[in-house]
Amino acid sequence: MEGIWGRVVWGPLRQLGEQAVAGLSSLLGMLILILLGLVLGWVAKQIVYGVLHLLRFDRLCDRLGVGMVVERTGLARSSSYLAAEIVQGLIVLTALLAGMNALGTPLTRNLVERTFLYLPHLLAAVLVLIVGVLVSRFLGRSVLIAAVNENLPSARLLAGLTRFFVMAVTVVAALDELGISRTTIIVTFAITFGGLVTAAAIALGLGARDLAREFLLSQFRPKPSAEAKDTMRHL
Amino acid sequence: MADAILSEQIEEVLGGSGPLEVIVGIPTYNNVATVGQVVKVAQACLANYFGDRKALIVNSDGGSADGTLEAVEQARTDAHTLMTVRYPLDPVHRLTTPYHGLPGKGSALRTLFQVAQAGQARALAVVDADLRSITPEWFNLLLTPILSQGFDYVAPFYNRHKYDGTVTNSIVYPLTRALYGRRVRQPIGGEFGISGRLASHFLKDEVWNTDVASFGIDIWMTTTAVADNFKVCQSHLGAKVHDPEEQGLDLSAVLVQVVGSVFNLMETHDLAWRNVLGSLPVPLQGPPSGGEPEPVSINLRRVLASFQQGVRDLLPVYEQLFSPRQLKELKSCAAAPAEEFTLEDDLWVGLIYDLALAYHRRVMDREHLLKSLAPLYLGWVASFVRQTEEEAALQAERRIERLCLVYEQLKPYLINQWPLASREKR
Repeated sequence: MEGIWGRVVWGPLRQLGEQAVAGLSSLLGMLILILLGLVLGWVAKQIVYGVLHLLRFDRLCDRLGVGMVVERTGLARSSSYLAAEIVQGLIVLTALLAGMNALGTPLTRNLVERTFLYLPHLLAAVLVLIVGVLVSRFLGRSVLIAAVNENLPSARLLAGLTRFFVMAVTVVAALDELGISRTTIIVTFAITFGGLVTAAAIALGLGARDLAREFLLSQFRPKPSAEAKDTMRHL
Repeated sequence: MADAILSEQIEEVLGGSGPLEVIVGIPTYNNVATVGQVVKVAQACLANYFGDRKALIVNSDGGSADGTLEAVEQARTDAHTLMTVRYPLDPVHRLTTPYHGLPGKGSALRTLFQVAQAGQARALAVVDADLRSITPEWFNLLLTPILSQGFDYVAPFYNRHKYDGTVTNSIVYPLTRALYGRRVRQPIGGEFGISGRLASHFLKDEVWNTDVASFGIDIWMTTTAVADNFKVCQSHLGAKVHDPEEQGLDLSAVLVQVVGSVFNLMETHDLAWRNVLGSLPVPLQGPPSGGEPEPVSINLRRVLASFQQGVRDLLPVYEQLFSPRQLKELKSCAAAPAEEFTLEDDLWVGLIYDLALAYHRRVMDREHLLKSLAPLYLGWVASFVRQTEEEAALQAERRIERLCLVYEQLKPYLINQWPLASREKR
């Protein structure tokens, strides 16, 4: 009688208790890890911000043109603050994943594994974006200054188009790295650019033929000698 | 080793040993059209003025392929006075056109200085090979102050049209004068004379493998001579006429090469110029020479339009370089009607000083920074042309003098800001 009672009632209850204790300890472990991550993240953020501030990281970013992007997009109050927030975010994310892993369920394990496998792609995409911003700023400024010095009337438009084109390629490359609808994005990109070029060509051909002719003539036809004759010697 | 080889070569040409007194250096690279005449004039000079001295003409060639060496040989009248040496020319120098038109000019001059050192020459005069206005008197004026009066560096002083050399007049001369306190009117003249002592001093410098040697060797020599307290003077050479093929260089390239070199030298010699206020005249040798300078015409409408477009379109660039007050003044200038257009001297000098500070701080890519100066410089040209349209050369020169004084008056600002810029750079 006692054996049946023990096997049928106490056994499952004991097992349930053990499972509850194990679950609770995992939950507690997860909470502790997340809490620890939050605290560590906050501390790391303060340290990173302080160090970058001392190293004049904001000035460097301003020179590279990243500061202006951060300011315009309202991502953070400064580049060094954004960098500190990224470090904090990474620590909290790591703690969160470690905490989920502590739960030990197949679902969380799978999720953690996938996230860790995805992280390099995320970092690569961020790197691609940063390089893209720098290149677009540099090339945009090169084109702007060269066009102004050549007295091209549409200097700002040319510089804007250069920046836009570089950024468009960058975004496509970053999204491709993230694996987000790879084919769709490339096709969309190709269609958009093809469409823009075709639309511009049709618009120019039908609606602004004379304007285009005048523009090309003004750019490539030799100017009247009275205007062009300039024997300036700079040195 | 190089000295020993050159000494042997010199002995072979001269047919004897012993220290040289005078060397005339002619650096060449594809100057077939003009070099023969320059060599003939140099020989005439040595015969007329230095016949009793041990002298040598040295052609330093970068590997001309147009018959320059043959033209030099054909112009030779005395086998014992002419020597040809080859200066090393990097492939990259063949691809880049320097403002002075001589690829690898730094190497060419270095070779000439090595010859001067190997031959223990007392004085060396160097002239461009593309000159059409050269006379034997030029060499005399470049060499005699060294031989007779103990000067170390003789800078040229040309008769120039009031609109000739506007980068020199608006930036290089006034800035160099305010920085180093010596009034060398043509700090990037091309022709010069130096003592054997200064040639050896130049050779010790580490400049020879840098961009300054390639694109700013003329201003480097003047600056080094002045900053290192060598005895400097100027000689009246009259009007200078170049081979027209060498003219018409892209303005932004000129600014990058010349103004970039001046700014680079500010970093090299900052301890020297930060202790200097005001300026001293530099002795001028020889009587004012004749020769009408070539007329220069400037299309006022075009240069003004370039300035206005620059202020309008390059504002995002200028916002990183200049103060809000300067930007406001620039916009106001750009908006003024053509007949009232003026770019005040204090605004112009402030812009140049802030540009030098921004260059030092590396606020942006240095080439971008220097190229963005082009429209502002054209604004200064427009203002200068408008102010001096009715004026004679002498009055125009007085305006340049006034500009120089503004550079000197505002220099304390540059001196105060420089250490801050150095800290920010770090």
